[in-house]
Amino acid sequence: MKPLPKFKYHAPSTVEEALYLLATLDEAEPVAGGTDLVPLMRDAACSPSNLVDLNNVAELNYVREDSGYICIGATATHAQVASSPIAAKAPALVDAVSGIGSPQVRNRATIAGNLCNASPAADSAPPLLVHEAEVAIRSLKGTRIIPLEELFAGPKLNTLEPDELVTEVRLPAPPEGAGSSFKRIGRRKAFTLSVVSAAAYVELSGGEITEARLAFGSVAETPIRTRAVEELLRGKALTGGLLDKAAESVKAEVSPITDVRGTAEYRRDMCGVLLRRALAEAAERAR
Amino acid sequence: MRVNFGLNGAPVTVDAEPYTSLVDMLRDELDAKSVKKGCEQGECGACTVLLDGSPVASCLVLAPQVEGRYVTTLEGLEKNSLMIDLREAFMENGAVQCGFCTPGMLISAYALLRDNPHPTEREVKRGIEGNICRCTGFTKILEAILDAAERIAPE
Ligand SMILES: Cc1cc2nc3c(=O)[nH]c(=O)nc-3n(C[C@H](O)[C@H](O)[C@H](O)COP(=O)(O)OP(=O)(O)OC[C@H]3O[C@@H](n4cnc5c(N)ncnc54)[C@H](O)[C@@H]3O)c2cc1C
Repeated sequence: MKPLPKFKYHAPSTVEEALYLLATLDEAEPVAGGTDLVPLMRDAACSPSNLVDLNNVAELNYVREDSGYICIGATATHAQVASSPIAAKAPALVDAVSGIGSPQVRNRATIAGNLCNASPAADSAPPLLVHEAEVAIRSLKGTRIIPLEELFAGPKLNTLEPDELVTEVRLPAPPEGAGSSFKRIGRRKAFTLSVVSAAAYVELSGGEITEARLAFGSVAETPIRTRAVEELLRGKALTGGLLDKAAESVKAEVSPITDVRGTAEYRRDMCGVLLRRALAEAAERAR
Repeated sequence: MRVNFGLNGAPVTVDAEPYTSLVDMLRDELDAKSVKKGCEQGECGACTVLLDGSPVASCLVLAPQVEGRYVTTLEGLEKNSLMIDLREAFMENGAVQCGFCTPGMLISAYALLRDNPHPTEREVKRGIEGNICRCTGFTKILEAILDAAERIAPE
């Protein structure tokens, strides 16, 4: 039995109020689903004096399409995104969040929390990276919008200031002829963290790859895009030979470590395997 | 702080510290002992309850987070016909050994069959992926849930 450290609890009902609390309270942490934060607090790895609960901020709970973007509010849960017809336009994202944890986790956990927690293994990150997602960040000083890559600073480190809140994650609604896919390898099939994960996004025209984006999880300090391999794919026809070359090249672009979930060598090899699977599925969905 | 919420169909008010987890509040203040405390990390599913109808791990929910919401535990489903079918199917199929995972397993199975009365085997596996059983090896639990689904009258 591990008691939680003591803290004061705040349940604002507007973003403005939440931002004010974060700006004025000592050691304040936002909490959404609590599926990362509560276990950390129990292990005393994190003991904020003040918790600012986002769950009563109604204006943060949505998945909607707006001006060509799929927009996901900060408290939208994985379950909400998984069943959203709007998010379905980004199949890599839906596949990734449908496999995070268990129903109990997906009913509470959020995409914003998954990203802010900044784990290299965050399953929503590779799909959002290949869909060129942006993150809207607000504080009392104003709003800034950054590419998702700039949110990650290192393992479990994000680039947010203590008074800032992610209010929305948004991605361009994919055009006709685009397809995306997410593939992961875990130590078992379900309810486990990824040992390696990969996402692919392609746009096809005729048989030609007009755009290709690839991203991987758990193979570097943060989730990463592999831009050299993307360049290799652009403007070519998706042949077996090209796939072989891409699967080999990607191994030079990742820098995995050995940990309890897998060795560096295994992860590097699996990047090639997952690249093939993800690219093949993305291309199929693009046709 | 005072927390007001609906528990198993009745309004309740509890005076709880904010750093109390929902599982502790349910067991210690409200005598809902069906809710089991296992890993306290959201991993085992023994503490699964319904929050506004959806299964959640009550060890990861803070007491004040249920303010104004509805919580359902096994106690509140005692006379529910779907839960009666599930309970009987669990007993008849030998899906209970030590019993510690059973309440959480029943809550997950209930939510699954309520939303999808005739699931495939794969859908049942996905429905209970967040509930760990150390005794049965899951096969009998799977069979029990599929058996319960057969007892539900087709629409
Ligand atoms: C049993 C279990 C299984 C899991 N399985 C997986 C898995 O398969 N794949 C995976 O990727 N993850 C998994 N996780 C991790 C976790 O569920 C996810 O990372 C989840 O998406 C976190 O979201 P949350 O809303 O619960 O975040 P919280 O725990 O509420 O917050 C996480 C961090 O982000 C900060 N934060 C939250 N929202 C905001 C915001 N809007 N602005 C600024 N900061 C914010 C919080 O302060 C905290 O530091 C699992 C966790 C558990 C307990």
